[in-house]
Amino acid sequence: MLTFILRRLASGVILLFVISFLAFALLYLGGGDIARRILGENATAETVAQRAEELGLNRPFFVQYWEWLTSALTGDLGRSWFTGELVTVGVSGRVAVTLSLVIGATLLSAIVAVLLGVLAARRGGGVDAGVQIFSLIGFAIPGFLIALMLVLVFAINLGWFKATGYIPISTSVVGWLSSVTLPIIALSIGAIATVAQQVRGSVIDAMSRDYVRTLRSRGLPANSVVYKHVLRNAGGPALAVLAVQFIGLLGGAVIVEQIFAIPGMGQLSVRATTLGDIPVVMGLVIAFAIIVVVVNLLIDLAQAALNPKVRLS
Amino acid sequence: MFRWKATAALTAIAALALTGCAGGGESDGGTDSGRADRLTLTAIVGPTSYDIGQGAEWGNRSAFFQAVFDTLLMNSATGEIEPWIATDWEYNDDSTVLTLTIRDDVTFTDGTPLDADAVVASLERFRDGSSPQAATLAGKEFTAVDATTVEISQDAPDPSLLSILTKTSGLIQAPSTFDDPNAATEPIGSGPYILDTAATVTGTTYQYTANPDYWNADAVKYDNLTINVIEDPTATLNAIKAGEANGAKITLNDQIPEIEASGWTIEANELDFQGLLLLDRDGTMAPELGDVRVRQAINMAFDREALLSALQAGYGTVTEQVFPTSSVAYDESLDSTYGYDPEAAKALLAEAGYPNGFDIDMMSTPAFQTTFDLVAQQLADIGITVNYTDPGAANFIADMLAPKYPATWMALEQNPDWQLINFMIAPQATFNPFHSQDPQVDEYISTIQLGTEDEAAQATKDLNAYLVDQAWFAPFFRVQGTYAVDANTDLEMWSVNAYPSIFGFSPKN
Repeated sequence: MLTFILRRLASGVILLFVISFLAFALLYLGGGDIARRILGENATAETVAQRAEELGLNRPFFVQYWEWLTSALTGDLGRSWFTGELVTVGVSGRVAVTLSLVIGATLLSAIVAVLLGVLAARRGGGVDAGVQIFSLIGFAIPGFLIALMLVLVFAINLGWFKATGYIPISTSVVGWLSSVTLPIIALSIGAIATVAQQVRGSVIDAMSRDYVRTLRSRGLPANSVVYKHVLRNAGGPALAVLAVQFIGLLGGAVIVEQIFAIPGMGQLSVRATTLGDIPVVMGLVIAFAIIVVVVNLLIDLAQAALNPKVRLS
Repeated sequence: MFRWKATAALTAIAALALTGCAGGGESDGGTDSGRADRLTLTAIVGPTSYDIGQGAEWGNRSAFFQAVFDTLLMNSATGEIEPWIATDWEYNDDSTVLTLTIRDDVTFTDGTPLDADAVVASLERFRDGSSPQAATLAGKEFTAVDATTVEISQDAPDPSLLSILTKTSGLIQAPSTFDDPNAATEPIGSGPYILDTAATVTGTTYQYTANPDYWNADAVKYDNLTINVIEDPTATLNAIKAGEANGAKITLNDQIPEIEASGWTIEANELDFQGLLLLDRDGTMAPELGDVRVRQAINMAFDREALLSALQAGYGTVTEQVFPTSSVAYDESLDSTYGYDPEAAKALLAEAGYPNGFDIDMMSTPAFQTTFDLVAQQLADIGITVNYTDPGAANFIADMLAPKYPATWMALEQNPDWQLINFMIAPQATFNPFHSQDPQVDEYISTIQLGTEDEAAQATKDLNAYLVDQAWFAPFFRVQGTYAVDANTDLEMWSVNAYPSIFGFSPKN
């Protein structure tokens, strides 16, 4: 097991190098006149040239990348060209915000999706049809539209939640809930639809297996069969889907954070990428890559815990 | 059983959340200081760096700097120059030396005194740095004559000097922070507020508390100030409707009816014009533009009223000149010099030797697609075919100034006269990238700089009329700059900046 984890971590590190190089190259190629972008339309050509010099933008690509890489290895990711903020400070602060949204949405969608999936698989008929329709709607309506509707109804008309901004949990738990509830719901709908379908399929499949018939014939209560045995077997594929959803939700957070004006990685990604704020984009790329590597590792471990067969491979 | 637990947990979360429906925008309720508790504003951009040598900017970023730094001079709501840190100022006879008297009762929030030395250090910091407007102080020398007297010397008179000292060039930062790499995010000034760095999320939310030792305490109307950067116009509208701000910068004028319906008040000014910059006036890249008749024909091609109503929901005023209404150069009659006359435009093109029109390269960018479509359509009506290239939003200005295109659509700031001239008309002006030069224009500019006040005023008028006649630009309209305040807040709008003065806000009683 330990070699398995170490191997995965090593490939994660290689992945980080490759991704960082590709990201830097793409940003560099799409660069244009970054100093002009930082200084805006009022600056003279001389001032723009002075800033480009200060930032070392005139040096060759490999020199710039090497400098970034060697600094990054010492933990220094530089400062944002557009806000002067230390990248490590800016990115880590926003990782916490986005993770609270994405983990919240993952938990919510896992709970709701399992409930709906099991319900649909066991009850069938009208309930099943209802869940199917809900899933279809969840697929069909784009996340941003759901977000806008939620804001309109629950923040503006009813005033129950905040329409914009983010309150850290350390400042106020209630305030935090009022700022993250709608974004989490908006993020979850699509994931619930996907995972509920997956759970439903897996449960139906498992219910028809021989071992279930055997368990039932021994007189085990139906709930116990479903929650202790069927879900354990159906859980693997659902977990895999949930992992993909989690990574997808990181992307979904981009739009939701814009709509709710939440200072997360998504909002920062949009801003930094549009502006060409290379230090910040690189910091975000590294953070995203680490999250994806860690999530995949955790999922593998969870799979192994659920299903001993995985451990053998 | 399981379901019940889940339901109970969800209900508990919902109940908690329901009790937490706190908005951020309450400003009512006085405090011991006699001020209101908090002013919450939204802005569309945050500061790039609080270090005045790196990021000092006015326009939409002014509030961030005004909160923590003082300026040497101050603008009144109508644009007159008033005393602030400098209580008195005087030019020598040939206007090459400006002597300023500095207040002696001001300290920075780190406890160090704001004296003539600190003023000189700040001016030098700005001049030698790479802030967007660093060039406004280029070539000027600063001397601390004594603790309360500063001299600014220059080779030639600068008619905009007093005006720029009310803005970025006049900001005073504590010299003790010049060597601190954190000065970008942890400003120390002598301003009305102190940035609460612990509660601030750089780029997103800026929290300030009132400076307890501020020299002009009566001007400070709130104990706390919050500025939230919200880039998305829909999110801004949501914040307004949910009562999560007291004041908001509005970028989409077609939102105005909805904002007013929410009980908010609209304050407006007109600082920017939109239209075509006919940059290649010598015809080096597009020979056609070298002929004044072609440039005049282009001016006749646009139905400005229709453009204003289509693009700005009618909020703004059509114009054919680049000088603002506040300028001595402004002449209302110039706004109907060309009018909308496609037939006359075609005749003029034919006279210039282009009976079948011609092709011209211009830039477009998706955010303003409707504008580009309408411009192309109106030019097509007189026979000019526009070939658009999208350089990417981030390269739009860089490519314009490179210069890579003979003409372009643009929204430009209408500064005070001398700044405007050095921004878009003088041979070395940033927005004169082809360095168009005309002996007549040079003569007017020289009189404006060196002549008496009356001569300068007349020359500015003549320059404006000449530029309209020579069709250096094809302006469409001045856009209404819009700021909205809620029912609890009064605002005295600045006529001279895109963002209001933070001293302009006060709680309604």
